[in-house]
Amino acid sequence: MDFLITTLLNALTLISILMLVGLGLAISFGLMNVTNLAHGEFVTVGAFAVYFVQSIGGSFWLGLAAAPIAGAVVGCILEFAIIRHLYSRPVSTVLATWGVSLILQQGLELTFGLGAKPVTPPIEGTLDLVFTVYPAYRLILIGIAMLTLLGVILLISRTPFGLDIRTVIQNREMAEGVGINTRRTYAIAFTFGAAIAGLAGGLVAPLAIVLPQMGVNYLANAFFVVIVGGVGSIGGLVAGSVFVGGLTSILNYQISPSLAQAIVLLAAIVAVRLRPNGLFNGASR
Amino acid sequence: MIARDRNWLLIFATCVALAIIYPFFAGGYQLTVIRDALIFGLFAASLDFFWGRTGILCFGHAAFFGIGGYIMALVTLNDAIPFGSLLGIMGAVAGAAFVAAIIGYFLFFGGIRGSYFTIVTLAMGVICQQAAVSWSSVTGGDSGLIGIPPIEFDLGGLHVDLSQDLPSYIFVSAIVAMTVLALWLISRGRWGTVLTAIQDNEIRAAALGHNAPLRLLVTFVLSAAIAGLAGALYVCMAGLVAPDLSGLLLSTEVIVWVAVGGRGTLLGPVLGAIFIQRAQQTISSFNPSLWPLLLGCVFVIIVFVLPDGILSIYARLKGLFKGRRRAQ
Repeated sequence: MDFLITTLLNALTLISILMLVGLGLAISFGLMNVTNLAHGEFVTVGAFAVYFVQSIGGSFWLGLAAAPIAGAVVGCILEFAIIRHLYSRPVSTVLATWGVSLILQQGLELTFGLGAKPVTPPIEGTLDLVFTVYPAYRLILIGIAMLTLLGVILLISRTPFGLDIRTVIQNREMAEGVGINTRRTYAIAFTFGAAIAGLAGGLVAPLAIVLPQMGVNYLANAFFVVIVGGVGSIGGLVAGSVFVGGLTSILNYQISPSLAQAIVLLAAIVAVRLRPNGLFNGASR
Repeated sequence: MIARDRNWLLIFATCVALAIIYPFFAGGYQLTVIRDALIFGLFAASLDFFWGRTGILCFGHAAFFGIGGYIMALVTLNDAIPFGSLLGIMGAVAGAAFVAAIIGYFLFFGGIRGSYFTIVTLAMGVICQQAAVSWSSVTGGDSGLIGIPPIEFDLGGLHVDLSQDLPSYIFVSAIVAMTVLALWLISRGRWGTVLTAIQDNEIRAAALGHNAPLRLLVTFVLSAAIAGLAGALYVCMAGLVAPDLSGLLLSTEVIVWVAVGGRGTLLGPVLGAIFIQRAQQTISSFNPSLWPLLLGCVFVIIVFVLPDGILSIYARLKGLFKGRRRAQ
């Protein structure tokens, strides 16, 4: 029984992170049709922000507050300097954002030096649940992730800005017609997605190996979340995260991590073949 | 013959002539440098054949290069297998084609195109590299496999032994030249025309009776097979195989070679591969971590300044002069 609960909580940790990283990607890839290969670097930047704040004597929580800000700054610059000029050229966007991703990785390596960076969690030790004992920090991580997701849902469904986003997504020309500044909406949405990814990076920093190259794994997995789940709804994001995160955590117990990833990839490809519109959005295209 | 075709053949003939006279001027070491660059040129041409003709970018092409390399290494290092070199090459080509066929089937017939395809192939590359690192009982893990013998085989009474620099240079050059010519003939023939039609408007091409997913799949498999061949050749020349050969960085570099050389020209990517590798060696000798940084800058510059590759500078200058003459 406690084994089952532990597996479930491990899966939930991964699913939470994937949801946060995938959220920004769902905005840029799914809704704006921008393939941003530098999205993984938002996660890296967030993790490095926590490391940096801790290394100059700040607390973890201060670092965690800095993480989304760092992600947002990088995302805003990226949108402003590169992505907004390439909305009509998808392949160019792929190349340019990949270039930015390489520049960011090497920039971080040149600034902070080689090797993994240590990040200490704010709380050591475990929490005694009824059925099992589980690291306290991971429970906090799950909680923050869920709260963030709830906040995003409220933002999109309840605020005027959320209404703008939904309008632009449904029909860009029409949205312009009724006086919404679509460029500005895109820019804000993109920056927002980057900030959430940065937060995910900050949250995962004490658990992960913080390296300049850490982003690419999150990038690949987050893209699978979006592709498998289908675009255009929070439900799809959750379904995709549960599919990718759940399968990965279950397989990780049985086999080596890279074989597990290969199987998840194959499963994702098969899922896309069977349900091209995503798990959540019905069968027909 | 159209002028563009004549120009291409002219450049091709010039390159072949340069390749033939090069050994008279260059020593053994320089020959091996160009030989290895040419193998990567073949790899670049294989990507260009798919990307240039279909407009769909494969972001994990090094996976096929690596698969070919590892199969070649495993076959030739196994003493129990006779005719190691020939069987190894065949196995490398077949293995890469097989993986491409499986992945391509699900993607193309599942209606996956454009960015989605790029992302899935990117993940494929990441996983291939991880598999090469972690499956250490077969692949040798991080350090890879060493001691791969040079290619040596008998074919129809002809004994081919590539342990020396000059024969290996000639062999590689001949294979690259023949493959590039063959790919060019396919591209400009009916097959290439249909691919262009699919790229322009897949629904219309399908309405005209073309099986678009099948065409894309066959093109992808052929492209992967050539990448596998390049990988097999490379590991025999280098004598070792390592996880980097299937890695994301190589997948990225090959895209730069194609983009700099000019997408869709087949010959441009080969030249791009040769020149950029020279640049890479020079830059890396100052500071190895500078290269990925510059690579990133090159990506951004290509997109904004030279979307059609280096060769387009010539065409653009010509257009500039023409425009001026007209203005006068």
